[in-house]
Amino acid sequence: MRAGLPFFFLIHLVRQRLSLYSLVLAGISWGLLLLGALARVQALPMLAGWPRWGVIAAQACFVFFIFLNQRAQPDPLQGYHFLGLLRRLVHGPGLLAALALGLGLIERSVSAGAPVGGSALLAVVYTVNLGLFVAFLARTNYAWRSLILFKSTPRLQREWLWFEILLSGTLMLQLLTWHPPVIVSTAAFTALGLFGAYLGTNQKWVAYLTKAQKWQAVIYEVLLLLGLLVFVQYFRVTQFDPLLLAPEPQGAFLVLTAFFAAFYSAMGLLVTFFNLPTAQVQEQRRTEILNIQRLTQIIQRGQSQAEIYKTLLATTVETVQADAAWLDVPTEVLAGDAATMECYFNVTQHEAARLRELLAGARLGAENFVDNNLTAKPELAELATRYRSLALLPLRSLQHHYGTLYVLKHIPYGFDPEDVSVLRSFADQTVLSLENLTLANLALLNQRTQEELKIASEVQDSLIPKKLPTDDWFEISTHSLAAKEVGGDFYDFLLLPGRRLAVLIGDVSGKGITAAFHMAQMKGIFHALMQGNPLAKNERDRFPVPSRFMMQANTALAHCLERSSFITSSLYIIDYEQGGFVFARAGHCHTLYYHALREEVFYFQSTGLGLGIIRNEGYEKHINNQFYDYGPGDVMVIYTDGIVEARGAGQEEYGEDRLKQRLEECYYQESDAIKQFIMNDLNSFTIGQPIHDDQTLLVIKFKAVQPEPTA
Amino acid sequence: MKVTAQPSADSLLLLLDGELDASSAVLLDTEFNKPDLLGYRKVLVDCAKLSYISSAGLGVFISHLQRLQDNNVKLVFFNMQEKVFNVFEILGLDSLMTIVPTQAEAAAA
Repeated sequence: MRAGLPFFFLIHLVRQRLSLYSLVLAGISWGLLLLGALARVQALPMLAGWPRWGVIAAQACFVFFIFLNQRAQPDPLQGYHFLGLLRRLVHGPGLLAALALGLGLIERSVSAGAPVGGSALLAVVYTVNLGLFVAFLARTNYAWRSLILFKSTPRLQREWLWFEILLSGTLMLQLLTWHPPVIVSTAAFTALGLFGAYLGTNQKWVAYLTKAQKWQAVIYEVLLLLGLLVFVQYFRVTQFDPLLLAPEPQGAFLVLTAFFAAFYSAMGLLVTFFNLPTAQVQEQRRTEILNIQRLTQIIQRGQSQAEIYKTLLATTVETVQADAAWLDVPTEVLAGDAATMECYFNVTQHEAARLRELLAGARLGAENFVDNNLTAKPELAELATRYRSLALLPLRSLQHHYGTLYVLKHIPYGFDPEDVSVLRSFADQTVLSLENLTLANLALLNQRTQEELKIASEVQDSLIPKKLPTDDWFEISTHSLAAKEVGGDFYDFLLLPGRRLAVLIGDVSGKGITAAFHMAQMKGIFHALMQGNPLAKNERDRFPVPSRFMMQANTALAHCLERSSFITSSLYIIDYEQGGFVFARAGHCHTLYYHALREEVFYFQSTGLGLGIIRNEGYEKHINNQFYDYGPGDVMVIYTDGIVEARGAGQEEYGEDRLKQRLEECYYQESDAIKQFIMNDLNSFTIGQPIHDDQTLLVIKFKAVQPEPTA
Repeated sequence: MKVTAQPSADSLLLLLDGELDASSAVLLDTEFNKPDLLGYRKVLVDCAKLSYISSAGLGVFISHLQRLQDNNVKLVFFNMQEKVFNVFEILGLDSLMTIVPTQAEAAAA
């Protein structure tokens, strides 16, 4: 470990600076190569003894370091910029090399005329060109590596590594004095060439180019091939030049890399070229994907329905390149938006109506419908004069129909299965977004309804008397609780002239808003009838007796109460001066009473039909008055069925018997205490159970006779 | 709540089973709304298994009462549990509708 540390440090250092070191070493070996070349042409006498292996070694080192340097460069392919890579390849080393080469050629033609010293110049130019050629190859090959390894599998990466190792092997082989038999070397050479060719087939990147980009790629590849060709031609000619006696640039490595570079360019060229016709289809697929994304994004921002429809139409037209399209949206879906919505593309509303008629005649189902050859359908012949392909997509969720999308094309077979599935997914996406929007709107509406209910609840609360009548001969306590925001229970009091008190209680069948309306109505009837009749002969006759009140209320309600609804009610008129009360019970709960003198608790047993059950004069027979004399200390408990029908944990009802028992236990208390005692018992009975019905409880206690107030 | 209708020559027997509340009232109402109901002389309602009746349940009978009377169809309840009868009685319906103890009496009514 300790011995290995400096070694690892060295490796780390070399890796970090590999690019620089390899460049320096390449420069040195190129210098050596230049000297060797000059020695070969005997340009410098002092270099006469320069050994041949030195030249070969320098050349091999130079090639090795240049390739190493390229390998150490950052990946030339940035993201998906394939064209950038090709352009840099052509503009950079390619162009430079070609220029330098051109200069070299000119140089050569000049020196051809003047042999003296020409060979030295030639050697220099040759070495420069060799350097450029190697740099060009290195750059090209590593650019190709990036393209080959684009989206590659680990296996391909391993194969490429082996290719590099084998190629450098051929480079090292040059340094050996031993040469394998020709048949072996030829076989190995061919095998390696084929390996390169095999790697050259990896041209996945071409698929990512648009049509225009493909054309550019073709041009760049042609230019690269030309550059390569010029180099090859130069070396082919130069190597036989008697003046130079070139130092064998045709080493297997260079030939192989040149072959590989050329093959890859040619292959890329062909693949790109033959991909040109399909480029449009591929682009269209990409547009489809982008459009689906766009549509999805629109959903996420909660836009209006009209906007969603508009996007669907625009997206559809763009994606499948429709010649005409329109959207049929049911009027009930769009409500107010319809007028402002433009749902026709390249077709007038009138034309669409005509086409719709034609299609209705063809009796298409409610499912997706695609006809790629409209001429074949005689009933659609009129349509076929202008359009040859039709796709029809219903926008439907499980519950709703959001419309139908019609797409038309002039060409036959305009909709392939992919188009249809893309359109389908557009349609589904649209339905989804419309559903979402509906749900969002519904939630808003619900919220508003809740607000309105709250207001209704407040209004109803104001209908319940807050200020209880007071006098020295009685005391009243009340309790009321609605099961929902608004309820159907009601009660009211009115002090009548002559020390009389009218008490009304009632219960509208059903719960909620409807019940609340009728409850308010009953209150109105009560106050109207209890205003008194000014034409009455005497004071007592001014106000209707309870049975009369019930008859009149029944008649009034007959016109507005729905058939299955009814109201139960009791009206008591208590007369202090007479020391008694009269009441009528219209189907309402029995009155619980404590008789102080007899020390007895009982329910009044009386008959009487609920209001709204018989809606004619016949009601009269079903209601009657009951008179009773009260004494001080008597307690009257009036309630609605929400009290006695309240349910306990075992679903059993609270019941009249239990209520009666409670009063037997608390009659001697003040009315407020009695009410509290009963409510506490009821609440402990129903604990944990939801309230099913409105609960109302009134307790009236008659007090001991007070002396007449002196008026 | 279960409503079973058993038609015979001149009468329709309705068996009510369970609690007749707002939700099951709809069920019973459809039974009463069937047009052939008016073709019978009598509609017998077996309340033996009717354990509870809410105001909505009563509303069904009340709303059809007049129509049945107008068409001379007699509505007869029998086998009614005391608790349920109590509800009818408090509302005063016992004076309006025929409620008898047994099926035999209902058939004779």
